[in-house]
Amino acid sequence: MTPTEQAERTLRRTVPLIVVAVVLVAAVYVRALVFTPYEMVQGPAQKIFYIHVPSAWVAFLAFGIVGVTSVVYLFLKDPRLDLFAASTAEVGMVFTTAVLVTGPIWGKPIWGTWWTWDARLTLTLFLWFVILGYLILRTAVHEPGQRARYSAVLGILGALLVPFIHISVYLFRTMHPMPVVLRPGRPTLPGEMLATLLFGFAVFTFLFAALLRYRYALARLADARAHAEAERADA
Amino acid sequence: MLETLRLALAIAAKDVRLEFRSRTAFVSALVFTALVLAIFNFARDPTAVSASDLAPGILWITFTFAAMLGLNRAFGLERENRALDGLLLSPASRTALYLGKVLANLVFVGSVEAIALPLFALFFNVPILPVLLPLVLVIALATVGFVAVGTLMSSMAVNTRLAELMLPVLLLPFLVPPVTSAVQITARLFAGRPFSEALGWLRLLVGYDVIFVVACILFFESTIEE
Amino acid sequence: MPENGGFMVAAYVAAAVIYLSYTVYLLRKGLRKD
Repeated sequence: MTPTEQAERTLRRTVPLIVVAVVLVAAVYVRALVFTPYEMVQGPAQKIFYIHVPSAWVAFLAFGIVGVTSVVYLFLKDPRLDLFAASTAEVGMVFTTAVLVTGPIWGKPIWGTWWTWDARLTLTLFLWFVILGYLILRTAVHEPGQRARYSAVLGILGALLVPFIHISVYLFRTMHPMPVVLRPGRPTLPGEMLATLLFGFAVFTFLFAALLRYRYALARLADARAHAEAERADA
Repeated sequence: MLETLRLALAIAAKDVRLEFRSRTAFVSALVFTALVLAIFNFARDPTAVSASDLAPGILWITFTFAAMLGLNRAFGLERENRALDGLLLSPASRTALYLGKVLANLVFVGSVEAIALPLFALFFNVPILPVLLPLVLVIALATVGFVAVGTLMSSMAVNTRLAELMLPVLLLPFLVPPVTSAVQITARLFAGRPFSEALGWLRLLVGYDVIFVVACILFFESTIEE
Repeated sequence: MPENGGFMVAAYVAAAVIYLSYTVYLLRKGLRKD
């Protein structure tokens, strides 16, 4: 089977996975909205938690994958690693955006303000900027080898940046207390809520995996077609 | 090791000589920096906020702009340097090339900062002389951080079409830890607070410099491989 | 219990829009390649 045919087959086979994933996300929605009890202090808005936190987990997972894949790429120079990293970055971007959108919508009723420079939101914001820079850089570099190398360097440096942003925010916060209307704190989750959250983790991770598989197959397809054309041009 | 340093100095010297022969970029950077400082005076409500509250932030935003300018002007030299790259094949030379570029950029940015600092003190009435030595130390540490990462980003951005736009997009997230630390330490220096309060930030700044200078030296060769 | 159900709905809808849009975009991109 040619690489092109292989990629096309993966694409077709991944569609049902995506469909299942979307249905499962709908299930999470139903479970969270209808079958999970309300939290008395925060009110209904607390339920945003069940979407926001799993999305954040995936966003950071994606970023970590980009970092690790970038390191391995610099050693092995396999172009498939580069395509995989790029696909992960793109899909990860979607989840990161969801975190940055749901975060403030949750924050406004709970903390009284749309945005706070708390550790996690700030870190997510800069992750978003670094991934954006990564994706823009890729569109701006045309030679595949160079693009792969540049992406890998940026991916690794971005991963190195994470602890420093975290520490910066932590040091900053010990000076400036956050505006607080209601303190969500870190209560131990009662069973029902924990179950919903864990279900959310599993489903969003599955969605990520399905979308990533599809996106990666698309990248392999484009790459295979470009190679086939180049070969035809040479012949 | 010594050979690498000597080569780095030679590369830096060549860049600096080229730069100061025309001086246009340097003078433009100075004028720009002075104008930015002046505009900041009007970018606030003088009845609501005192200049001394905003001073550290103003200083470091200005220095960040200066660093961007310094890194941008290196692009022109970059294209001339293409011919040189072909000669530099050994890993040691690549490290030397990176260090040489960093040094040249440090000279440029440092010179702009050296003139901007007294101007800043003048415009915003900040008594910098009592804290001059620690202030210069902080400026040096933060600038090393900016320029080390910036030089690496430049070597990638230069190969893109809109290099001058690409550079800030890539670099600015990486400037958050050094700029934040520098502003916090500077604020404490200006306020005459005991230095112990700024130790956490100082450690962050030094840690950042160490990690990122090493990382950039390691990864630089991936940005110029043929 | 505070009355902030509107925010809950807004966030759930926003997230759904984000994820669905990307999924549709991706699937369409795959279909177009054929």
